Amino acid sequence: MASLLEVKGLKTQFFVRGGRVRAVDGIDFRVNRGETVGIVGESGSGKSMTALSILRLVPEPGKIVEGSITFDGRDVLAFNDDELRKFRGNDVAMIFQDPMSSLNPVLKVGFQIEEAMKAHDRFTKEQAKERVPGLLSRVRIPDPKRRADEFPHQFSGGMRQRVMIAMGLSNEPGLLIADEPTTALDVTVQAQILEQLRDLNRELGTAIVLITHNMAVVASICTWVVVMYAGRVVEQGPTEAIFAAPQHPYTWSLLRSIPRIDEKLGSKLLTIKGLPPDLTNLPPGCKFHPRCLFAVDRCLTEEPELVTVGPGHESRCWVQMKNVKDPDADLRETPLVADEEAADAAAV
Amino acid sequence: MSRGTATYAAKRLLLVLGTAFVVSSATFLLVHSLAGNPFTCERNPAGCAHEAFVHGLDDPLLVQYRTFMWNLVHGDLGTSYVNQGAQVTPLLLKEAGNSLILGLCAIIVTILVGLVVGIVAAVRQNTWVDYTLSSFVVFGYSVPSFVLATFMIILSAILLPNWANSIGWGSPEQIPIPAIALGLPYAAIVARLVRASMLDVIRQDYVRTAWAKGLTGRVVIVRHALRNALIPVVTIGGPLVTGIITGSVVIETIFGVPGLGKEFVNSILNRDYGIVVGLYTFYAILVGLANLGVDLIYPVLDPRIRYA
Amino acid sequence: MSTITTGLNMGGPMAPPGTPEEVDYSVAPEQVSLWQDAWRRFRRNKLSMAGIVVFGLIALIAIVSIFWTPYSLFQQGLGDITDPFSRAHPFGLDASGRDELSFLMRGAQVALEVGLLTAVTTSVVGIAAGLLAGFFRGWVDTLISGITYIGYGIPNLLIAFLILFITNRPSIVNVIVALSVTSWMDMARLVRGQTLALREREFVEAARATGTKDFKIMTRHVLPNALGPIIVQATFLIPQAILFEAFLSYLGFGLPNPDPSWGAMVSSGLGDRFLAYHTIMVPALALLITLMAINFIGDGLRDALDPRQAK
Repeated sequence: MASLLEVKGLKTQFFVRGGRVRAVDGIDFRVNRGETVGIVGESGSGKSMTALSILRLVPEPGKIVEGSITFDGRDVLAFNDDELRKFRGNDVAMIFQDPMSSLNPVLKVGFQIEEAMKAHDRFTKEQAKERVPGLLSRVRIPDPKRRADEFPHQFSGGMRQRVMIAMGLSNEPGLLIADEPTTALDVTVQAQILEQLRDLNRELGTAIVLITHNMAVVASICTWVVVMYAGRVVEQGPTEAIFAAPQHPYTWSLLRSIPRIDEKLGSKLLTIKGLPPDLTNLPPGCKFHPRCLFAVDRCLTEEPELVTVGPGHESRCWVQMKNVKDPDADLRETPLVADEEAADAAAV
Repeated sequence: MSRGTATYAAKRLLLVLGTAFVVSSATFLLVHSLAGNPFTCERNPAGCAHEAFVHGLDDPLLVQYRTFMWNLVHGDLGTSYVNQGAQVTPLLLKEAGNSLILGLCAIIVTILVGLVVGIVAAVRQNTWVDYTLSSFVVFGYSVPSFVLATFMIILSAILLPNWANSIGWGSPEQIPIPAIALGLPYAAIVARLVRASMLDVIRQDYVRTAWAKGLTGRVVIVRHALRNALIPVVTIGGPLVTGIITGSVVIETIFGVPGLGKEFVNSILNRDYGIVVGLYTFYAILVGLANLGVDLIYPVLDPRIRYA
Repeated sequence: MSTITTGLNMGGPMAPPGTPEEVDYSVAPEQVSLWQDAWRRFRRNKLSMAGIVVFGLIALIAIVSIFWTPYSLFQQGLGDITDPFSRAHPFGLDASGRDELSFLMRGAQVALEVGLLTAVTTSVVGIAAGLLAGFFRGWVDTLISGITYIGYGIPNLLIAFLILFITNRPSIVNVIVALSVTSWMDMARLVRGQTLALREREFVEAARATGTKDFKIMTRHVLPNALGPIIVQATFLIPQAILFEAFLSYLGFGLPNPDPSWGAMVSSGLGDRFLAYHTIMVPALALLITLMAINFIGDGLRDALDPRQAK
């Protein structure tokens, strides 16, 4: 079955005074119909730029310099202005990180949702207007008729994000891209929004690309994970495989740095040393090696290719975590308390 | 209009009247106590003293002030010192009409030119279009309006000879040139403001959302960007009126328009106190109303603003 | 600024000349202070730099004119009036036969004197008023805000007229005073706004906690942080003052005769416009060039000091 979205060899760069920032440096992934794919990475990994590239919304001075983006068999990068306009908000919709600033403050919420529909030929003006309360109640906004007549500043953060989702889904797109939809929200609201997205995926069959820096978010709704670092895919695969046995040291470190309730008291929490790389001045060899706990000599000079490490599961590493004997070793060096018994006694 | 806004407007109106009161009093007292006798008495002492008596200038200052205020509230600005016995108020009203026409036309020029230039420059930022327009804009607010007026007179004499004399007032074709000379410098300022505001707004997230929804360029620029960009630009309304008033003083003098600006200059030169004080009061009220108007437009443009 | 070194020998015979032994993959770009950063950005703005050059030239001419002009301003009847550009009089003569060039040079001096002195006076008074109003609030604020509110409602130029009307003695000091009295209110409003915002910041709280005197807080902590917009406003005060003075001179309220102000030159030139265009064009052009130059500098400063563009 042909995939819904296929990204191959995508390179997006920014031409600034200091040089060329390689925000996205050759990535491949695909999204099948009805699938939920998570793209994970820290700031500067290129995940947001990937999303913007799909809709060709890369801001100046950035440009997509190489690669192909195919949606439903059509070449997105070859669209003319009119085709691009019909593609956006219709075939693929996008919701953004900060719902506070992503909605126009001077226009009514209902109008903004109507507008999304009127821009494309799927509904008439009257139909569009009628659909609004339905869309709002689908994302569980109470009293939708009245609220459609209100302005964004009259909504809370979580509700604004729901409005964005409603707006994004108004034309029943095949794919919804959500760029860090929960980062600006409280933890409790986060859970609600994620649940909302999961329900919509199940009910409508809309494929979702969820972009985040938070592995926990990915675990809750994604079936496929793409891990990015310095503009490249460093690991990719089914969610269970990635979480059960991460092969790339970066993925492994990300998972190990989340505190878990079943850990022994006194074991150290991993932090990834160093800072995100300077994208105008990347190190040779593997881009992650300056921060990697398991680097060997080869990592400093040769950049690894993607290696298949399981069914559908690839990792870009010379070492691969499965070959590391005792990765948690140095984390057990200095416990916080002298011994376990004292710790248990103290806890009682 | 909500109740809160109505209360606010009422308070502001009182403030305008209060300001007008302060201005007229201050002007009156300053002028009458410091500026000396307007009538030169060396040549005609008797007639001069008579004039002074007629206009009540012999009375103590406070008495004069009380009379003045009483008359002012009744809309009577006294009689002119220069034109024997001519009533000031009707004279000023007629001239006010002329100035109003000129001023409104100038404001139309300012808004139209300023908006168009500002929007185009912002949308085509850093292209030659932007650079050319921005240079004209700097030119526009660097040129003193009397210089611009002079150039325009010369130009119109050469280029539009069949247009009767551009100097003077009485036929509609005599309006555009002084209106443009008056409005263009402010058009430049508005253009600069619009451009800066549009540049700011275009980068906002909600504009990106608009593009992502698949809206056409025109809708994004006008409905999403411009509506938000205009909010800070509206602030210029008050200073715009002030500037038009200031400019009209010079422009009316050059073009021979029988308006308040020209009257102002003449009154000062002729030391015609009554008119001078009256004009200051009128201007204070006008500017106060303009500022109030601007402040009342805000809630219309930006629903986040409410006067509680 | 942290660096990450590879621990690998990057030198050796095969490396390009100049390669350091250990390569440093710094992760943060070079840090510069706000002023250095602003200056760099200002330098890149060609129009602003051109403005500085032009302004420098005019200042030079102005200074020279104090000591020497080709002809005295009082000399009249120096030659044929209608002859625009001759060797003896590069810019021709005005209606009374006086040398235009000499007037032009002196006009530069008048313009700059009025412009700079007004800007300085206005700024000093305005900054003081704004700081006091914003910092202490209370009756001080009410008083100053009240005055600025009333002043806001009346066209500045007309207040200047009033003052000159009352004093009735043309002199450069009167002009500067009249202009300053009307312009300080804008500066005060700006500074007040900045002060109100800054006084809530933590570093002011910290200064207060260590017992710093109010005056020191205002001058050492609040004022330096507000300087950006203040400098920009002050720069734009100069052409505004020059423009106003030109208006005043044009209407006859400027300096005593012989008035070398460019505004007065245009005014007298207008009377003779059908005799000789150059008497209008030359001072008008001088005004235009000077004002544009300073406005470009102001624009450049504003863009350079814009905090949103800082790295």
